[in-house]
Amino acid sequence: MLNIRLEGKLPIYEQLYNGIARLISSGEMKPDERLPAVREVAKQFGINPNTVQKSYAQLEQAGLIYSIPAKGSYVSPEDSAAGALKQEALRRTEQEMECALRAGISRAEIEALTEKIWGRNGDDI
Amino acid sequence: MIEVKNAVMRFDDRNALDGVTLTIPEGCAYGLLGSNGAGKSTLMRALAGIYRLSSGEVLIDGQPVYDNARLKERVFFINDETVQFNGMTLTEMKQYYKSFYSSFSEELWEKLYSTLKLPLKKRLSTFSKGMKRQAAVICGIACRTPYLFLDEAFDGLDPTMRIIVKQMLIDAMMDAKLTVIFSSHNLGEIDEFCDRVGLLHAGKVVFDRELDSVKGSVFKIQTSFEQPVTKEQLESDGVDILHVEENGSVLHIIARGDREKIRAAVEKHSPKLYDEIPLSLEEIFIYEMEGLGYDSSKLG
Repeated sequence: MLNIRLEGKLPIYEQLYNGIARLISSGEMKPDERLPAVREVAKQFGINPNTVQKSYAQLEQAGLIYSIPAKGSYVSPEDSAAGALKQEALRRTEQEMECALRAGISRAEIEALTEKIWGRNGDDI
Repeated sequence: MIEVKNAVMRFDDRNALDGVTLTIPEGCAYGLLGSNGAGKSTLMRALAGIYRLSSGEVLIDGQPVYDNARLKERVFFINDETVQFNGMTLTEMKQYYKSFYSSFSEELWEKLYSTLKLPLKKRLSTFSKGMKRQAAVICGIACRTPYLFLDEAFDGLDPTMRIIVKQMLIDAMMDAKLTVIFSSHNLGEIDEFCDRVGLLHAGKVVFDRELDSVKGSVFKIQTSFEQPVTKEQLESDGVDILHVEENGSVLHIIARGDREKIRAAVEKHSPKLYDEIPLSLEEIFIYEMEGLGYDSSKLG
């Protein structure tokens, strides 16, 4: 079972992609952990198996998962997933910053926040 | 593969199908949508070889379906009419299908049956609508035909049963490359399950597209400008506008196309506000229909 919920108006394969990417980036799914089989995921959500296949193919293309023929799909080791995880994090940051912009948060406030978070983690990476 | 070529089905003075052309690839889960009277059931019957078209063709695996006994063994059609089984018990209904379909699997039937609680020895006339539908569905899946047509199939089923049926279909799709067509007037029922959707209206295919390409192809944008910007200005910048509504100083635009391009075109006019909201499939259909000149309020 995948511990995610599919909801919203994005295409299902994107929702599934985002859900799994989040499980991997949050560490809830560990490197080399096996993903549920396509059939299992299709049944869990009552969705078309071709859709699940499509999400898995895209996760693999992004380097987040790898597959072993006739065995299944697995979470990539951290170093090979790093680029994809970074992109995923950037994408989410952008979304959140757009929200902040709409809510009327100023650039200075964002900069102060950046300072605070990066400062807390030592210095600029 | 299913090919419908310029199908016309004339009843008295009305064309129930008015030049339908469609291709449904093997292994596809196809959702056929439309309001009552749009032609869904007529098309399904033509696909199942029950109706002889007034003109045009319906081909399955390259062969015409009407009066084609060999092809009928490859197709199972589940519709509302189970009247012919009213005098039979479920066991007798099973025997009937078993004798007709050589691919019938007793083992699969038992497996499906065990997930339900249907009486075996009562006549079908004593079954509720949902129970009749369940009986037809388990028989249909157990026949293991490469083509399965479900006319309004989910309507008589409760939510638990819908999940079970979907799971049965998923197995059949993965194990046997089942091609399945659902007709429905309720988009929500088949939304997550279909690869492709077709919308029928007044006997015509209004559109026929991959579901993934439909979702995320139309956006609702809320925007507001310092200087008034007209619909024509945005259109000349390449925004394909389906619908505009003004609400005070805020414009609600329904636009079709690439999200980034739409955004870039609107941002040229330095909006004070830009918010993009994805639309549900239902909303997309309504706006697309409007764009084609149909009055969505009449779609039911």
